[in-house]
Amino acid sequence: MVRARYFNENAVLAAPIVLFLLAFLGFPAVVDIIYSFSDVSFENLRSPRLSGLNNYAAVLADDDFWQATRFSFKFGVITALAECLIGLFLAVFLSPLFNKRPWLLAILMMPMMVAPAMVGLMYRLVLHEFIGPLPHYLYLWFGDSPSFLGPDTVFTTLLVIETLQWTPFALLLFYMAYQAIPAEVREAALVDGAKSVRMFWYIELPLMLPVLGIAFFIRFVDGFRVFDNVFVLTGSGAGGSTTSLSIYIYLAFFRSGKIGNAVAASMILFVVALILLIALGKLRRRMARA
Amino acid sequence: MKLADHLKFAAIGIAALLATTGPTQAQVTVLGWPGGPEETALRAAAEAYNAMADVADADKVELIFFGREGFFDKLQADLAAGTDAFDANLLATYSIGRYAPFMEPIDLDAGAAEVYGDSVLATMQFDGQQFGVPTDLSLHFMYYRKDLIDGLLSDDAARARYSEVSMEYLGEAMSPKSPDEWTWRDYAATALYFSKSVNPDSPTRYGTVLQMKNLLFNMMVFHSLPRSYGGNWLDESGNVVVDSDAYRTALELYKMLYDAEATPKDSLSYEYAEANAAFGAGQIAAMMQWNAAAGDLMDGEKTPAVAGKVAVVAPPSGPEGRFTHIHGLGLGLNKNAKNMDGARKFLKWMSTSDAALIYARNGGAPGLTENIVAEVAAERPDLVLLGDYASKYGFVMRGGTSAKALSVYELQAKEFTGYWAGQQSLDEALAKTKSGMEELLQ
Repeated sequence: MVRARYFNENAVLAAPIVLFLLAFLGFPAVVDIIYSFSDVSFENLRSPRLSGLNNYAAVLADDDFWQATRFSFKFGVITALAECLIGLFLAVFLSPLFNKRPWLLAILMMPMMVAPAMVGLMYRLVLHEFIGPLPHYLYLWFGDSPSFLGPDTVFTTLLVIETLQWTPFALLLFYMAYQAIPAEVREAALVDGAKSVRMFWYIELPLMLPVLGIAFFIRFVDGFRVFDNVFVLTGSGAGGSTTSLSIYIYLAFFRSGKIGNAVAASMILFVVALILLIALGKLRRRMARA
Repeated sequence: MKLADHLKFAAIGIAALLATTGPTQAQVTVLGWPGGPEETALRAAAEAYNAMADVADADKVELIFFGREGFFDKLQADLAAGTDAFDANLLATYSIGRYAPFMEPIDLDAGAAEVYGDSVLATMQFDGQQFGVPTDLSLHFMYYRKDLIDGLLSDDAARARYSEVSMEYLGEAMSPKSPDEWTWRDYAATALYFSKSVNPDSPTRYGTVLQMKNLLFNMMVFHSLPRSYGGNWLDESGNVVVDSDAYRTALELYKMLYDAEATPKDSLSYEYAEANAAFGAGQIAAMMQWNAAAGDLMDGEKTPAVAGKVAVVAPPSGPEGRFTHIHGLGLGLNKNAKNMDGARKFLKWMSTSDAALIYARNGGAPGLTENIVAEVAAERPDLVLLGDYASKYGFVMRGGTSAKALSVYELQAKEFTGYWAGQQSLDEALAKTKSGMEELLQ
């Protein structure tokens, strides 16, 4: 009797969040699935006409989609690698300093606290040839300043900006993982005569590998779906050269009014991400068993 | 706590939430363009309207605004969803066709044509119907450094060097002219002459600043150039004619200036704000820019480096004449308006000379006819130029108010910037633009 009453209470208490999720996640998801198989624009949002796989075929045949996919993949991999490598180096190299002055870590976290759109806006000012501090000092010291956002340099500039903002995230994870290595493990290695490089390579790094993997994955996903800072700084780039998949979907939806194509592209992205996630999960379980 | 108590608690919470988010809609709700002189002017006009004795309480106007970033995207989503949160809303020339299915045509005051003129009223028309009352007009000025041009015109050695530069880059020994007599080739020659990469003795780092970012508004700045060479989007039969000699010449001229570094190295990421900053730093001799920039660039406090040295003329001419892109902002009627009649009355009043003058005196930029603008000429001399240029040189490309106009601008921005960046040839860029436009417009 008491159990049944608690069950009722739990159901009632959980109902708002369940209804909220159904309304705000479930409903849009169902609508998106329908739209992805429909001929739909802003004019017929409420009465889309089913068009089979046309949207999917159009997206897969669109060169811009593949260009955006290449951009996102390249951007995601390179920034994740750079952030993890620099973050790992800083975590290990500065660890003694952080132990003595932990507040330094808080200062280094500050770039993460800035909204990515604001970062884009900030760099529009910082890199501007006439009002930006960086070109100003380059002119002052060297008599010239390179093009930061020209066709040949814009990708590198975007990589650097993204890396500068998100390396602190990797640094934080790696520092915590580094600190979590039991002291007795290090002591045992020292007793066995391991020097610092060998200790890092054979003891510390393997113990930190799971965190490294997770950090790389999170940063790759974040880099892959980049939108705000790139869009604010360069738009979709000259000739569409800085169009990430998120920007492609946004432009297709709002600017071109190709709602079906935009939703189909996001569905493709979702399915690929799901497959990747399941595969990674299986791999992780297999590695754990081994 | 019993189940009944939980339910009571939830009911109280929901009631409190409803009380704070309940209907706030006033009698006539108008969605305006936020955060600039347009907002200030619209507030003044609405205040004057609400103070009129013959405006019933049920027809008083309340203004609402949402952020500028992505304004038109949000508006489109709202209208498509059938919102009735506002009765009247902002419209722009290039988006009328897109919004028309969700809007109602309106009637203007009988004297509206005498206040605004036909060409300005046309910026708010689609398929022969009036969808909005024009409030602000945008077009382009050629901003130039008077001190530099005067120096060039009066110095024989400088004139000789100018001829050498024009011969080298444009294949013709040209003489400098006053900006009001410029053709596009004169503008290009001046831009080259005042660039350090071409003329190391130039007092400015660059001769001009081109807004070449992949952005639809930059195409509006660009296309006065092909238009002056006879270019258009469509011919009279509705065929896409963008792959014309006019567009070819215009695109090549931009690329030549970019490659010669007569415009800043990062011009492919430049838009309105970046161009103003470059010009305001005193390192640019001349540039095409929106009329809205005049206030800042001629204000000695905001741009001290060029204070008192800036003048404006209409854009240069081409073989087919002198042209400036124009587009208007205005207010139109939401098809799902709750107070349709009240909104109609307000919009009709906004098309009267009284409303236009209040709007102009409070910072707005309406395109007014000669007789009307004379009444505010002392306070707003810039509006005299605005009305004059709009009536003499204003144009809208054929198809420029169609439902797909914004998408056409987007397409051109992508393909043309791809050519300027050296990612594709001119033939490829024009062929892709043509086929894309055919898909969009036909």
